[in-house]
This record gives sequence, C-alpha cells and structure tokens, in this order.
Amino acid sequence: MPPLDFLHDPDWRRAVLQDGFGKGFWLFLAVAVLTGALCLILKGPDVFAAALLRDGGLLLDLMPRVTVALAIAALIWFLLPRERVSRLVGTQSGLRGLVIATLAGMVTPGGPASAYALLGVLAASGADRGALVTYITAWALLGLQRVLVWDVPFMGPDFAALRILVCLPLPLVAGLIARRLPLTLTLKDEAVPPQTGRGA
Amino acid sequence: MNVGLLSLLVLLAVLLGLAVRRGLAAGPVLQRFAEQFVKLVPRMLCALVAAGFIAELIPKQTISGYLGDSAGLAALPVAAVTGVLIPAGPVIVFAIAAVFAKSGASTGALVAFITSWSVFAAHRIMIYELPLLGASFLRLRLVSVLVLPFLAGSLAMLAGLVTMFGTAVPLD
Repeated sequence: MPPLDFLHDPDWRRAVLQDGFGKGFWLFLAVAVLTGALCLILKGPDVFAAALLRDGGLLLDLMPRVTVALAIAALIWFLLPRERVSRLVGTQSGLRGLVIATLAGMVTPGGPASAYALLGVLAASGADRGALVTYITAWALLGLQRVLVWDVPFMGPDFAALRILVCLPLPLVAGLIARRLPLTLTLKDEAVPPQTGRGA
Repeated sequence: MNVGLLSLLVLLAVLLGLAVRRGLAAGPVLQRFAEQFVKLVPRMLCALVAAGFIAELIPKQTISGYLGDSAGLAALPVAAVTGVLIPAGPVIVFAIAAVFAKSGASTGALVAFITSWSVFAAHRIMIYELPLLGASFLRLRLVSVLVLPFLAGSLAMLAGLVTMFGTAVPLD
C-alpha cells in the first residue's frame, strides 16, 4: 500500500478538516479578533503592530518545533511497548510509578506539542490517572529544558534553583490527589493502534 | 537553531532509526501525523495571536502593586489568579514575571505566579489538552493541581524566613 493513500480518502479528509476547523477553531479566531480590536482601540496602532510583529517572530520559531514534535509523537504512538508502559506506570505501580512519571516529565524535550501528544500515548497505553497527572505536572513545573531556557536567563539561577526545589514534590502531590478523587475519567483515543509490524 | 529544536531533531532521528529497524509501515505513521497536525496547528495560530494581544492588555503595573512583601500572604491568591489569566507561552510569561520582579514582587509571589501559569496555562488547555485528552481528564487534572500554586508560594515564603537565597535577579 503506498504510504500516502489515506490522503485520497474523502471521508478521512472531511473528518480531519472538521476536527481542525471545528467549533474550537472559530472560538479561538473570535478571541484573537476581539483582543486585537481591544488592543488597537485601547493601546493604539503602534502597540497593536508591535504585538503582531512579535507574534510573527514567535510563529517562525514555533512551527519547526511543533512539526518535529508531532512527528516524534506519531512515531512513539506506534513504537512504544504498551505492556511495559502499563507495568511501569499502571494502576498497580504505586508511588514508584509516580516517581517514574515525574522523571519522565522532567526530561521530555520540546514544548506542549510533544508533552501532550506523549500524554495521549501514555493514556492509551493504560497508564494510571495519577501517573498521567503527575507526568504532565512535572513537565509543566520542572521540565529541564524550560528551566534552562527560561527560568535561568529571565529570573537568575538562584531563583530558578529555589523554584525547582519547592516544586520538586508537587507533581507527586498532584498525582496522589488525582488517585483519590472520585471523578470518572473517560479518555479520547483509547483504541489501541493497528498492528503495523514487520512486512505490513 | 535553538536547544529545543536541536534536542527534538536528535530524538526524531533516533526514533526514525528504530522505526526503520523494526520495519514499521510509513502509511499509518504519516496518517497519524497529518491528523494531529490539522487538529492542532490552526488553533495554535489563532491562540498565539490572541495571546500576544492579551499580554499587552493585562495591567502589569497595577498587579505588581499587590505582589510586594508588604502584601504578605495576600500576594499568593493575586499571583495565582494572574497566572491563570495569561494564556501565553513562556516568552511572554517570563517577560511579565521579570516586570513583576523589578517592581518589587516577593519571591513567594513570583513562585506562586509561575507555578500557577505552569499548571493552568489556558492556551495549552484549549490547544492541546481538550482535543487530545478530553474534558474529563481536564477536570480531574484541574482539581488535582488546584492547591499547587499556594503550596509552592507558601514553601518559598517559608524558605525566605530562614535564608535570602532565591531572590530573583530579573533580566533587563
């Protein structure tokens, strides 16, 4: 089967476009237009133009990273040994599972595109709810790349060290709370991906 | 070429090598990539533009008046709420944190602000969390992390009672 066959499937194309340009997208667009108008009225055209220009720069910086991150996530989706993941961070993994999830969150490179895509893979592989909350909290609070690129240059190394120190136990706290909360959890993407092993 | 992109490219190369060795079919991988790309990128573009405007609209100077040492514990909720209100990436948030630090915000308030933004960042919820994980995960996570900004801020304040270490040296 040629690898790009799915592009010719009209049902697939329609579903994907609906996903990308659904309600959420229009809501975002509306917020962007609204805040832009407010900015133009309240702060004047100079501030408005400067903000737009900065956004353009951010975008150029962001697009390559997001593209690579999503490619990584797509590969991991098919490569990750799911049984082993659920043994490491599954419901029976206890405190050890939460510690592993914390470490994984700390070393996950890239921005939210890679971390959240990986979180989706973990959820579909049978990771326990506490481990999922711990993983994404650890990435958000303690991600090493973020500390080095943002905390240290903007706030100084002392502040960065103090912040890391006080935040170190917090992903575990969040995971333990998540395990005890009486909330039901239904995840998207629960289907296990089709087997695409050798010779497929 | 920055550190972030470089480390991602290295990881991608390793995974590609692994995929080739295992004889993974390219079709399904490309399909999943295309699905996620279309799902996330249009929203991301709009959110990025909106975030730039919101950062201009937030009254930074007014807020920083409530974050100083004189505000004591009251600075924590103000810092936490401000963190929730900024739907933008680290570029904008750390620039704002530096503004707060320069206008005399206490270390505890700064820690609470950054923690709150880290765990609540509204743009991440809208762009990534809802489409990829769904509303029930979001609810579970939000309730689980609700106390974290206050815990982090109080711990930093307690540390401030015994040592001066940790004072921010904001970028000019």
